[in-house]
Formats: sequence, structure tokens, C-alpha cells
Amino acid sequence: MTDASPGGDAAADGGHEVARGGDDHDFPGTGSIKRWFVTTNHKDVGILYIVTSLFFLVLGGVLAWLMRIQLLAPRALGEGILAPVAYNQAVSAHGLLMVFWFLSPFAFGFANYVVPLQLGAKDLAFPRLNALSYWLYLFSGILFGVSFFQGGTFSGGWTMYAPLNVPTFTPDVGASTAVLALVLFVASVTVSSVNFLTTMHRMRAEGLTLRNVPLFSWTILLTAWMMLFAFAALLAALLVLSSDRLLGTTYFAMESPAGALLWTHLFWFFGHPEVYIVFFPALGVMAEVFQTFPGRRIVGRKWFILAMVLVAIQSFAVWMHHMFLTSINLQVKTLFMITTIGISLPFDLMVFALIYTMLKGKIRFTTPFLFVFGALLLFIIGGITGVFLGAVVLDYEFRGTYWVVAHFHYVMVGGVTALVGGLYYWFPKMTGRMYDEFLGKLHFAVYFVGFNLLYFPLFVAWETPRRVFDYAPELAPWHQLATVGGFVLGLSFLIMFYNLFKSAFVGDPAPDNPWEYATTAEWAVSSPPPLENFDGTPTYRDGHLEFIDDGEVAPSEERSGGPTGAAVSDGGVTASATRAVTADAELPTAEATEVEGPSHASIWPFVLSAGAFLVLLGLSPLQDAAFPEGMVGAAYATTAVAGGVVTLGSLVAMGLEPFHGPVFEEGEAWPFAGIDNGKVGMWIFLASDVVLFGGFLGAYVFTRVAFGWTGWEPIPSDPIPGLVNTYILLTSSFTVVLALVAAEKKHKWGLVTSLGATFVLGIGFLVNKGLEWQHLFHEGLWLSTNVRASTFFLTTGLHAAHVIAGLVVALYLTARAWRGAYLEDSRSVEYFGLYWHFVDIVWLFLFPLFYIL
Amino acid sequence: MVSTKLYTAIYAVLFVSATVQVLVEFAGLSYWLAFGVIMVLSAAKAVLVAAYFQHLRFEPRSLTYLVGIGLVAALALTLAASYSLL
Repeated sequence: MTDASPGGDAAADGGHEVARGGDDHDFPGTGSIKRWFVTTNHKDVGILYIVTSLFFLVLGGVLAWLMRIQLLAPRALGEGILAPVAYNQAVSAHGLLMVFWFLSPFAFGFANYVVPLQLGAKDLAFPRLNALSYWLYLFSGILFGVSFFQGGTFSGGWTMYAPLNVPTFTPDVGASTAVLALVLFVASVTVSSVNFLTTMHRMRAEGLTLRNVPLFSWTILLTAWMMLFAFAALLAALLVLSSDRLLGTTYFAMESPAGALLWTHLFWFFGHPEVYIVFFPALGVMAEVFQTFPGRRIVGRKWFILAMVLVAIQSFAVWMHHMFLTSINLQVKTLFMITTIGISLPFDLMVFALIYTMLKGKIRFTTPFLFVFGALLLFIIGGITGVFLGAVVLDYEFRGTYWVVAHFHYVMVGGVTALVGGLYYWFPKMTGRMYDEFLGKLHFAVYFVGFNLLYFPLFVAWETPRRVFDYAPELAPWHQLATVGGFVLGLSFLIMFYNLFKSAFVGDPAPDNPWEYATTAEWAVSSPPPLENFDGTPTYRDGHLEFIDDGEVAPSEERSGGPTGAAVSDGGVTASATRAVTADAELPTAEATEVEGPSHASIWPFVLSAGAFLVLLGLSPLQDAAFPEGMVGAAYATTAVAGGVVTLGSLVAMGLEPFHGPVFEEGEAWPFAGIDNGKVGMWIFLASDVVLFGGFLGAYVFTRVAFGWTGWEPIPSDPIPGLVNTYILLTSSFTVVLALVAAEKKHKWGLVTSLGATFVLGIGFLVNKGLEWQHLFHEGLWLSTNVRASTFFLTTGLHAAHVIAGLVVALYLTARAWRGAYLEDSRSVEYFGLYWHFVDIVWLFLFPLFYIL
Repeated sequence: MVSTKLYTAIYAVLFVSATVQVLVEFAGLSYWLAFGVIMVLSAAKAVLVAAYFQHLRFEPRSLTYLVGIGLVAALALTLAASYSLL
């Protein structure tokens, strides 16, 4: 963020940039285009997120305008500006873009910018992975954009209900591309969740216990936890759907038992936590602003946090209230009605805490406050109308009507309202300039009027059926009012864009803290903050924020590079502090333990994401596992292969690139104290992978129950090839253990041999599996034969994909070990082992479920 | 940490219990009894791998809880979804 020479910052940070022609020297200023392609700094990434998400807001908003124009009058087929399928595409794309590509990334723009500052960290734990999250997000959005030009994008609604989501009903290539774009988006979210969770648990300043973490950071912490598990379930759903669309499996086909119901379970298991995933950051902004402008600490802070934790947990136990009109049994509906009504209670507490905080303070009506105050009102309306939907009998009436549409727009766009407040709130911090207060207030007035003009009539016209453009003629006046409101709301953003764009260049310079009574740490540094955030080491040792001179603490820790110099009190923590220096990526190139200033530049996250984009674009026209005939098919196939090469190449390049994450001083790390950042990140990732496989196994169990459990025979008639593969995998796990033992004993050839053996065994596993599949194919079984075959091939196929990914890493490790790596620092081998054993464990369940039971 | 000898012993146990799983299938037990035995054996093997090969036993307990949360989420989805059909 600083134009002040980054090299100077590095020097101030201990002057150890001399060792290498380091990245700092190559790190261009903010005025340079190149900077934005290579940056890994959390503040840059935050700004990239915000700007990109606002672009998707405009795109989704224009689609909404098209719909509102179509809805000016009830239309018959072919009337109005949108053709029927175009309307369906606009509805679906509007929902997907707003929920996925605008709302969450907008919030995570703030999270990126503000959270490390609030924690007292210099950056996120894995800066390159953070840049990777952004680029995956951008490219997933571009991929979604491409889908419009491949015959048409997905048109089955944002919930993508089965069986509309399979090619029988949505045959366009673009529909597949939209699903693949979501897969790429989920990859971005997963990387981001792992990064935020590691950072927030491991890198808090000394004295900043979780209980004292500012409320915005608290909401992001809980959001990241929900994202980690919820998006893993969505990934399972999307991969199964991609397989149905591209490879021809039949999970969601009409003839599969309970296929449509399976989708709703998988989708809403993700979908309900998703509501809080998009709303919690808004709640965090509300909590911050409600403290700053009334000038009061929040009332019942502890209870506020507890209520949020409760909601985050309970959000995973309410999903079936989206399914009251499906064939699920009445007992389970009742149960989920109870949990749903129950989840509204913690929200009541939060709302009252905010109101009471406001009443006890002396309010200053600035633009940020107006927006979050408006957001609170809107959220109350949205919340109360939602309770209607949570009651089974009322939902029978309201389901599929505009009541639902109005309700969730009050909640979701209510959240947006708070986030817009957050944009005004942190704008001075990000740009170093004040926005124009009058234009800000004007924006709020127009926005608030437009909002209610748009969404309130939808409650009145609730009998309009959702997702269609025909409705009872007497409701037309309400829809016309809503259309007017839509334009008022949309155009109000022009005021904001003008205000913020102009102010970013010519606004009054902002002081460190332009808001009296703002207490969180981001206001204690300059606006904008320096590249590495703090001049000294932040600490809350004495109960308030202080900065210790870097000279006092840092050098002794940093230069040690081993246990010698780090003989400060507790060995475990200190060791991890020194190690954290290099702990970027899941598999750090660990031999570079000589310590330098943190790096800020890497082009590989961008290249890697571009590669992944090409792979998915190339795969998009597949149907029944075959490319289309002729030139077009060949072009797509070539794109996929080229993308694969770029992806793999940039992964290797990223592994070899010397890159140093932020220097991590001793601080609060509950509950992961004494464990490396890298290891914590790996385990967090594996926990999400547990849910991914859980989704696949859940889909299998569910389908089998629907089919009749005992009437379902395993696909392979002979369990022996499966047993042989069990032996092979167990042995390969054992050789990985031996590799780690050899590395710890600094036994180079033992390490190389064990890793090599692991690789060979993995290949053996795949060959054996290939022969078995070949045999099954010859018997006439194929992925599309029936859902029984589909579950077998896809679930074991996902496992095989994990094996292949592991083998790529194993090969890389073997090659590096051959050249003498990992003897000083065996962590890469250890982390690889954690992954490999996990893949082994999964097989221990797949084998009995798919081969013998 | 653990000696190579113990690792080897665990590997042997895993190897044998995988074999036992298949033998159970051919032992002529009732389906649900065999199902129970086989799943318990799988779970036991998984615990061994996690505790020793992934050395969770020797890490702070928080990592175990972390994985446990993922497991609970996956089981909740599987069991509640399957129950909703009945």
C-alpha cells in the first residue's frame, strides 16, 4: 500500500535483505500494473477483492434490471425484452453471481485488509496462497462469464436443483462451464479458509486472546470455519454434478432413486451455513461501527460472541427447512423446524445488544453509521419474515413464492447494506483520503429508499410464483413499483462510485484515526498502513496495544535458524516461531531456512490460476466422457492439456521459488500453540477433505438406502483386487513413515529409497485399479450403466485422483531428496505423510463399503 | 516419538486386519453382524493410522478435535439425510 520504498521497510525490519537479490527489490510500487499481478500482500489482495467484487455487483445488478424490466407487466411467452430461456439464465446467473462472486468476496476484501491489522500480524500465514485465492476467484468469475457465450449459461436457478441440472434439461455447454466455474470458486474459498484459520489462530499478537479479538475479526473467524466445512460439502455436490454432466454418471438422473432429493441435501447442507457465511461479516461491520459512532463498547460482548458461536455451530443443523416440500418424513421436518426457530434466538440477543449499545451511546450520524443502522432495520424485517418460512405449515403456503424472494433479499442485501457501510468506514484507512460526507449521506438516502421500494412490494405481491415472468395481473402495480425501486437502488451506486473514485485522488488526507472512539488496531497505524503494517512488534501484554521496538526481540529469534539461539523459555513455541518464517504453502521448500525479510511478490499464483482456468474451460464440452467431434473438440482438448501443463509447471515453480512468509513473533496461538503454521494449515485442509469424502460417502449411503440397502450388490464381484490394493496402500503408508524416520536421522539414501518406494507402490495401486476397471468395462459396466456403477466409479475415482495428486508430490519430494533436501528440515516429508495417510484412511472405508458389504 | 519397531508392528496389525475383514465376509455371519464387525475393524485401523502414522497421539489434542469436527459434520449429513428417507 505504501508508495514509500518497500526496500526501506525491509531494512527497518532488521536489515537482513542483503542475503539475496530478494523479492523486495523486485516489488513494484502501487502505481505499477505489474505490482497488482505479483503482489501477495494482504492489503493489496484485499483491494483486489473489493474492486473485483464490485465489478460482479454491477454485472449481477444489470441482470437484475433486465429481470425487473421483464416483470413490469405479466408476460406471456415471447413477450418482453427477454426470451424465456434468457430470463431463466438471467435469474440463475444473477443469483449465482451475487451470492458467490459478489457478496462473500466483497466481505473478504475487508477481511483481507483489516484482519491481520486487527490481529497484529504482518500478513496472513501463507501470503502466496492468499494471492492464489484471489486469482482463482477472478478466473472462476471469468469462466462464469465465458459460459454465457457457449450456447448460454446455466438456467436452472441458483439452487441448481436436480434433475434440471443435468444435460437432459440444461444441455448447453455453458451450463457445464458455470458448474465448473463454481468448482474453481470453491477451490479459492477452501484455500482462503485454510489461510485465514491458520492466521487467526496462530498469529495473534501477544496478549490478544481470542476473547479479546475485535468483533469484526471474530465474525471472520467464524465465517472461515463455516466456509471450511460448508464449501467442502458444496464441492462434493459440484463434483458429483460435474461428473453427471461431463462423464455421464447418473446420481441426479430422473431414474435414480431419490436423485433429486440427494441434490437438495448436499446443496442445503452447504446452503444454510452459506446464509451466515455471507451475513456474518456484515454483522462484524455492524458491531464495529455500532461501537465507534455511538462511542460505546458493545453491551454484553461475551454473550454476543457466544451467540455467534452458537449460530455458527447450529447453522449445520437446520438445512432441511429448505426441503419442507420434498418427500422427507414428517419427524425430520419437525426436528428441523425446531432447530430453525431455535437459531433465531441468538440473533435476537445480537440485535438487542446492538440496539442497547446504540441507546447507551451518543450517536454521530456519519455515512458508515447510517448504512449499518439501515442494515439493522432491514435485517430485522428480513429475519422476522424468515421465521414464517421456518414453520412447516406456513412454508407449505409460502414456498416458491415471492415471499421467499423478498425475505432473503432483505437478509442478503441487508447484509450488503452493512458492508457498504464498511466500505465507507475503512475507505480512509485504505486510501489515506476522506470520502465526501454529503455525497455519502445522499447515497444512503437514495439507497435506502430504493431498497425498500424494490423489495417491500414483493412481500405484498407475495403470491407471484418465483422464477417465472407470468403472474396475476392485479399484482402488476406492485411489480412496477419494485422495478422503479430497482433502478433507484442500482443508480444510487453511481453516487458511491463517483464519490469514492474522486475522493481516492483528491479527497482530504485522512489521519491515522479519522473516527473518534474507534479502538481497533487498524486505526493505530498510518492511513494507509506501511507495507508490513507495524513499525514495531504489536503487543497487548499490558492490556492495551503497544509497539515494541523490533531490535529488542526479532533478531535473536530470526537469525538463529536452529534451536541454539532460540533458547527462550518454552522451546516448543519458539521453535515454531523461527520455523514459521518459511512456512508458506502446504509443502514448504524447507531447506531455505536462512532467514530474510518477508517476500511480497510471486507471479505463480496468477499463472497457476490461469492454468486451472484453461483446464476447466477445456473440459467444459465433455459429455459422457467424450469431447465433441471435429475441430471444436480438438481445440477444447488442446486447451485442457495446455492448461494442465501450465498448472503443473507453476506448481513446481511455486515449490522451488524462494519465498518467505511473514516473520512471526511469539504471540497468542490458542488452540494450536506449539504446532507449525504449515502443519496446522495441512490439518485444517484435511478436515475439509474429510467433509468432501463425507459428502461422497454420504451420497453413496443415501442412494443405497433409497435403493434398498441389502438389495444392492457391490460392483466388483471379486474383493481380491481391492484387498491387494489395501495391502499396497498400507505398505505405502508404512514407507512414508520410514521416509520420515530416515529424514530425521539424516539418512539420505534411506529417505530417497523410502520415498521412491512410496511412489512405486502408488503407481502399483493405480495400475491394479486400472486393470480392475478395464475388466469391469469389458463386462459391460460403465459409469452410466446405473447409479450403483456410478457411485462405485466416481467415489473410487475421486480417491484415485487423490492418489495421483499425492504421487505428483511424492515424485517432487523424491527428486529433491535425491539432491540432498529435507535432511535439515523434514517438515515437507512429514506434511506429505499426513496427506498420504489420510488418503490411506479413506481407502480403509471405501474398500469394505464398495467391495465386500 | 515412536520406534521403528512399533511402526512395523502397527503395519503388521493393519495388514492382518485388512485380511480378516475379507475373511469375515466369507465366514457366513448374518449380514448386519458382518457389517458391524467389518466397519468396526475399519474404524480401528483408521484410528491406528491417525494416532501413530499421523502421530496425532503425540500432538496437542486440538488437532484431533479439529478432525473430529469434520467427521461429525460428515456423519451428520450422512445419517440425517438417510434418516429423512425412512
